[in-house]
Amino acid sequence: MLNSSRRRVGRSLSIQRNALETNEAIANKNKRLFGKAFVINFLSSPGSGKTSLLESIVPILKSDGFKPAVIEGDVETDLDKKRIDELDIPAYQIVTNGTCHLDAKMVNGALNNLNRKDADIIFIENVGNLVCPTSFNLGEDIKAVVLSVTEGDDKPLKYPAAFYKSKVMIINKIDLLPFLDSSITKIKENALSVNKDLAIFETFCKKNEKAGNIENNGLSDFISFMENNINSKVSK
Amino acid sequence: MHEFSIALEIVDTLQKNEYLEGVKSVDEIKLNIGKYSGVDKNYLIFAFQNLDDERFKDVLLNFISNDGDEITIQEILVD
Repeated sequence: MLNSSRRRVGRSLSIQRNALETNEAIANKNKRLFGKAFVINFLSSPGSGKTSLLESIVPILKSDGFKPAVIEGDVETDLDKKRIDELDIPAYQIVTNGTCHLDAKMVNGALNNLNRKDADIIFIENVGNLVCPTSFNLGEDIKAVVLSVTEGDDKPLKYPAAFYKSKVMIINKIDLLPFLDSSITKIKENALSVNKDLAIFETFCKKNEKAGNIENNGLSDFISFMENNINSKVSK
Repeated sequence: MHEFSIALEIVDTLQKNEYLEGVKSVDEIKLNIGKYSGVDKNYLIFAFQNLDDERFKDVLLNFISNDGDEITIQEILVD
C-alpha cells in the first residue's frame, strides 16, 4: 500500500464507477462502427500461431463468399500485416511502440484507416500477451484465446483472465502433440475449470495446408462457428 | 505494464466526472478488483506511485476483491 501510515481524510466520495469508463465509451463507439461485421479479438502468447491461423482460415472464408478484414496489433513492425496482405483482404497494422496491449482508442484509430465497408468479419489480432490485453474491451463481439500445445497444459490456470473472458479457446499446433508431454485433456480440464462455457476447437495450421484438407487440420468446426455467427449478426 | 494505462484511466474517470474539483490531494481510493481482471495489485500501486500528478503522490489503494472480472472505483477519500 502507498504510505499506509498516513490517513488525512477530508471528504469521502462514493463513486461506484467502472474504472475503465473512458475505454468502455470508445469500445461502444467501435461496436457501432463495426456495424454488422462479426468481430473476434484474438488473445494469446507470442508464437501461439494467431497469424498462421488467420492465413489458414481467411482463404476458406473467402471461398465460402465471406469478406474478412484484419486489424493487426504488435509492439513493433508490420511483419504480420505483410503476411495478411498476401491474402488480398483489407488489413491495418497498429504498432503500439512498447505498449503491451491494444485499447479501444487504438482500434478506433485503426477503424478510420481500415477499408472495412464490405467486411462481414473482422479479426483483431491483439499483441502477443496473455495478461494485459484481457483488461481492455475493444468493442469486439467475442474474445478468442489461442493456446498452442507447446505452451504447456497449465497455462489456463496460470493466466486465468484470458480464459475467463474468452468465449472460444483454440488449442493450436495439435500436430505437435506426439512430441510433447502436454496433455490436451488436461488443457481442456484446466480451461473449463476457469470458464465452463468455453467453446473449444483443436487445430493446426502448417503452411501450405490446402483448403480441401480442412477436415484434417481441425479448422472446419471453427469455420462453421464463425460463419454461423456472421450470419446470425447480419440477420439481426 | 497495462496497470499504468489502468491507473491513468482511473484518474481520467475521476477527472471527467468532476470528483477532483478543488481537490488538493487524493488520500485513498477504494477499488473493487475481480480476480479475473488481469490486474496485478502491486503493479497498480507502482503505477500510481509513478503518475505525473502530485495529487496522487501519497494515495493509499484499498482493494476489495471479488470473483468476477470488473475493475470499479467504489469510493475516494480526498483533502
